[in-house]
Amino acid sequence: MQNLIQIIVDAVALGSLYALVSLSIGLVFGVMRLINFAQADYITIGAYALVVPTASVSPALLLGALPFAFMAGGVVVVVVVLALLTERLAFRPMRGSDPATLLVSSFAVSYFLQHLVMLIHSGRPKSVGIGNSLSAAVEFWGIRVPGTQLLTMGVALVMLVAMVFFLKKTPMGIQMRAAAENFQMARLMGVKANRVIATAFAISGIMAAAVSLLLVVQTGTLDIRMGLMPVIFAFFATVIGGMGSLPGAALGGFIVGFVTVGLQAFLPPDLRAFRDAFVFMLVIGFLLFRPQGLIVTSAARERV
Amino acid sequence: MSNATTTPYQSFLSRHFAVLLIAACLVFIVCLVHLFGSVMVQRVVIEALIRIVIVVGIYIFTGNSGIISFGSVTFMAIAAYATGWQTCCEMLKPITMSGLPSILRDNSYPVYVSALTSVSLAALAAFVVGLILMRLGGLAASISTLAILFILNVSYSNWETVTMGTASMVGLPTYITPWIALGAALIAVVCAWVFQNSARGILLRATRADEVAAAACGVSLYWSRLIAWTLSGAVMGLAGVLTAHFLGTVSINSYFLNLTFLALAMLVVGGMKSLSGAVVGVVVVSTIVDMFRRLEAGVSLGDTTLSLPAGTQELVLAGVMIVILMFRKDGLMGGKEFCLPKRWAAVRSESVTSERNAQ
Amino acid sequence: MNQLAENSLETRNVHVAFGGIHALSGVDITIKTGMVQGLIGPNGAGKTTLVNVLSGFQKPTRGHVVLNGKDVSGDGPQKLARAGVGRSFQAARLFQDMSVEQNLMTAAIGTGLNKADAIIRSREILDWMGLGHHGAVLGGALSYGDERRISIARALALHPKFLLLDEPASGMNAEESQNLMSIIRAIPAHFNCGVLLIEHNMEVIMGVCEHVYVVDGGRSLANGTPREVQDNPDVRRAYLGEEDAAA
Repeated sequence: MQNLIQIIVDAVALGSLYALVSLSIGLVFGVMRLINFAQADYITIGAYALVVPTASVSPALLLGALPFAFMAGGVVVVVVVLALLTERLAFRPMRGSDPATLLVSSFAVSYFLQHLVMLIHSGRPKSVGIGNSLSAAVEFWGIRVPGTQLLTMGVALVMLVAMVFFLKKTPMGIQMRAAAENFQMARLMGVKANRVIATAFAISGIMAAAVSLLLVVQTGTLDIRMGLMPVIFAFFATVIGGMGSLPGAALGGFIVGFVTVGLQAFLPPDLRAFRDAFVFMLVIGFLLFRPQGLIVTSAARERV
Repeated sequence: MSNATTTPYQSFLSRHFAVLLIAACLVFIVCLVHLFGSVMVQRVVIEALIRIVIVVGIYIFTGNSGIISFGSVTFMAIAAYATGWQTCCEMLKPITMSGLPSILRDNSYPVYVSALTSVSLAALAAFVVGLILMRLGGLAASISTLAILFILNVSYSNWETVTMGTASMVGLPTYITPWIALGAALIAVVCAWVFQNSARGILLRATRADEVAAAACGVSLYWSRLIAWTLSGAVMGLAGVLTAHFLGTVSINSYFLNLTFLALAMLVVGGMKSLSGAVVGVVVVSTIVDMFRRLEAGVSLGDTTLSLPAGTQELVLAGVMIVILMFRKDGLMGGKEFCLPKRWAAVRSESVTSERNAQ
Repeated sequence: MNQLAENSLETRNVHVAFGGIHALSGVDITIKTGMVQGLIGPNGAGKTTLVNVLSGFQKPTRGHVVLNGKDVSGDGPQKLARAGVGRSFQAARLFQDMSVEQNLMTAAIGTGLNKADAIIRSREILDWMGLGHHGAVLGGALSYGDERRISIARALALHPKFLLLDEPASGMNAEESQNLMSIIRAIPAHFNCGVLLIEHNMEVIMGVCEHVYVVDGGRSLANGTPREVQDNPDVRRAYLGEEDAAA
């Protein structure tokens, strides 16, 4: 019983983390048909902003030395600025290119950012102690839940609710949904492309900042590819959910999180190392039966 | 049609000018290297020829279908390991790779047998994967090729008893000479050319240009894509065999995102819509990469040694790729093949007629 | 099976709904080989949706598409194209970076020809339409009028039994449009097929078609010879009324 609940808690925590990432991917895809590899590097760079750039494996803290609120705020500012910069410098000039070109260009941007971090911070993994106090377990009705899990779920929940509110209630959010559902139509209705797209990037930056903080608190390490796996999983979450569907992206994130944790728990021990391979195989198997994903939007079909 | 002076030879030349020019250049370079090149130069040329096989391999699928493949180096890895299992380190194999079936563990095979079987295995793997992936729409297929890359990487990295995990398999026979690499590059280039001019190739290019209009022409995406994907997998397999026997070692992490990026950068810079673009991309990007690697190692000017920080080369390469995508989306070749210079080009319009008359 | 069912493409009580919007609600038309028929109706009447249904790009939510007496309602566009339903689009949708000849070859190969035969068929059609000199030109390098004509030639390269042309003359000047219509008039006899011509311009359609269907608001409104349709009071009210008022 204890064990099962622990698994469920893990699954919800990981699922909500992936949901955050896949929602940011889905949002940007919705407004400009770009699948953004660089989302991985937003997360990585957000985490590296915590420390002073050196080649040391246990570097001095930079933003990480500030009180929590300032640290979080600082990371958000860094990542949002980065996201807006990539949008302005790299992606805006390519707007209107076909999705395949956009995809490969985001791959290039990601490669660039990754090697920039490597140049500044060296490629070695680093340890960073932030939020150590959070790793203590909290007990609810006899069930112990690690503090980091609670934090992840809490942050993800707050951000998901904020996202829903933003998308449903604010004019900008409504335009963004319209754009995601039907790109051409949204254009025709006079959605202001520059503002909507920049806003989508800014939001994806905020979410990336949150994810990078959560990852650092969870693992206590920095790695130049730390953002990669969550983003790759999030890609598949958006494909499972249905390209262009925001609820689908979030749902897909949870599904991928659940499948990952489920496999970790129930695979025989000698197969556990292959867990991620199984996750990807399940994803591909799923797509075989539902190639357009769970929620089919007009984005998936081309109008004749 | 009035021009009766066109000989079959001229028409053949003009129709296949791009591939003939590429082949002639490659042969010429290898001859020069054979006659005058040092061992260092030979290695550089072999490396470039292998890159041509890699990039042309990806081009066969991506160039014709318009679907970016992030997963093609998977089939290189499959072939590289397969040839390693068959040819490497007879004495050590039973210890380091105890999980191999005894037919591989306790035997070694001639290199041409291993090359053939490894390429076939890569093609078979591509075919099986393609049966599933080619059902997906363009973007979803593209993303799913990435899944293939990760599945193989995770599997081979952890399959300790068979692949030695992330450790390198060493002691493969290194038999790749410039002539062998040349032969492989010619095979790859000719395969790509024949495919893109075949009926299937034309259909696939039509689906790349406009899926909806292609559907109205009765073109089924699935088979066209699957055939290209499988052929591409076979050529990638060939590249894997070459790489393995050129370096003499195989390690899973050299067939991952960095190689994928390098290959895609070459394809994008040259232009992924034409074979000429793929080859030009290899030449240009290899030059840039080698130049910056040398600058990173340090250039001595008099008493001082100037060197760029390590990693500059990657930044420059990514930058070049982004700039090309921004300002010249179809790459340096602009999606065109090399064609005969103007004053011989009068022959061109006759090509179709003579093909017709030949019926 | 009677003769009609053997050589016809029909919709029977076809409905199409997108979410809550009814694009078609009960349309019956029958396209026969050997003649040019017209499909007219005001903007938003459902003409293009009907062509999409006939060519398999849109599955009907209710009702049937019947090809030569066989129900093909669920078949996709590729299958219908190979079964003999060719179509053009409102935008030409040529394969931009392929030559004109390759554009036509695609359709010919799509029906199962080998490359050499596809070249022969493509050349024949281009020559027949007086476009032979364009064979080597890239699809993306054509003038607007040529683009439109090549898109019809490409549909013809399927050797279709039924050819659906979605406003082929839109954006052409009067002279170009005249020329195009004389080609369209000759298609049924030369290719032994039936043509459905969607056209906004009433005069054009009256000059070319032997039989005309009128749709309005997703419903069949009337059909008959151009004369009959023109005199139909419902049609006058729904469609011609605007033009009468303007005149």
